[in-house]
Amino acid sequence: MMASPGQTVALVIFGILALGFGTAVFRTKSMVRSALALLGSMAAVGGLFFALEAEFLGVLQLMMMATEMTIMAIFMVMFMMDPGGLGQMEMTHQKRASLTAGVVSGLIAIGLSTLSSWAAVVAAAPTPSAQLHDLGIELMSRSMLIFETAGLAILLAMIVATTIALKAEEKR
Amino acid sequence: MSPLVLALLVGAGLFGIGLYGALSQTNLVMIMMGIELMLGGALVNLVTFWRYLHPDVYSGQMFVLIVMTAMAVEMAVGFAVGIARFRARGSVEMEEAVELNG
Repeated sequence: MMASPGQTVALVIFGILALGFGTAVFRTKSMVRSALALLGSMAAVGGLFFALEAEFLGVLQLMMMATEMTIMAIFMVMFMMDPGGLGQMEMTHQKRASLTAGVVSGLIAIGLSTLSSWAAVVAAAPTPSAQLHDLGIELMSRSMLIFETAGLAILLAMIVATTIALKAEEKR
Repeated sequence: MSPLVLALLVGAGLFGIGLYGALSQTNLVMIMMGIELMLGGALVNLVTFWRYLHPDVYSGQMFVLIVMTAMAVEMAVGFAVGIARFRARGSVEMEEAVELNG
């Protein structure tokens, strides 16, 4: 069964935006522009989630990525000699091999997507409120261990990140 | 074209672009951007599979939350490595990090 035409149009528009901004990330010499392009791409992915009727995940994606990209832009300005790309510095290597790897892996994924015989598409998704309710039940019942492990992983990452970033004399 | 395949094509494209970026960039932050794009492609695929194949089972959405956690962890540890590297060598250019000894 096919999805509604509106949904297909939304998928196409957000898909083109995600891919367009994704390409722009590596086409500009300005790292701040790269961070903003990545923000655009991730926001378009959030839009895709809305088009796919996963509203909660869409909101989560938009909020998380806006925060992440802001932090990324701040780090760019702190660490880079030329965050604005005014000097037109070349910051790539092994371009041909990388391009080949990217194109080949993309083509393999496209081939698998188009040639696999997927099951029939389900026409209707649960309502947003039903999704939230059922996801909450899932998090607090069957997937609780996974959910708690994810929380522990974030805590560990914070401790590890702080330890790595400390100066040598501060560690003692 | 089925909307399932359409959305999977976007995921495949994002993965390919991300892989190109992660392999071709010399700067740590730009490499991390490539990895973010690859994980973004994975997210699109996961939500697509949930929506069009099993919208009644929430393991798919759970998987998305785990990938988002992986993205946050990758950012935190990546930037910590960046800070350590910047303190040691004054740069986060990975071309110079051939020995990985600080």
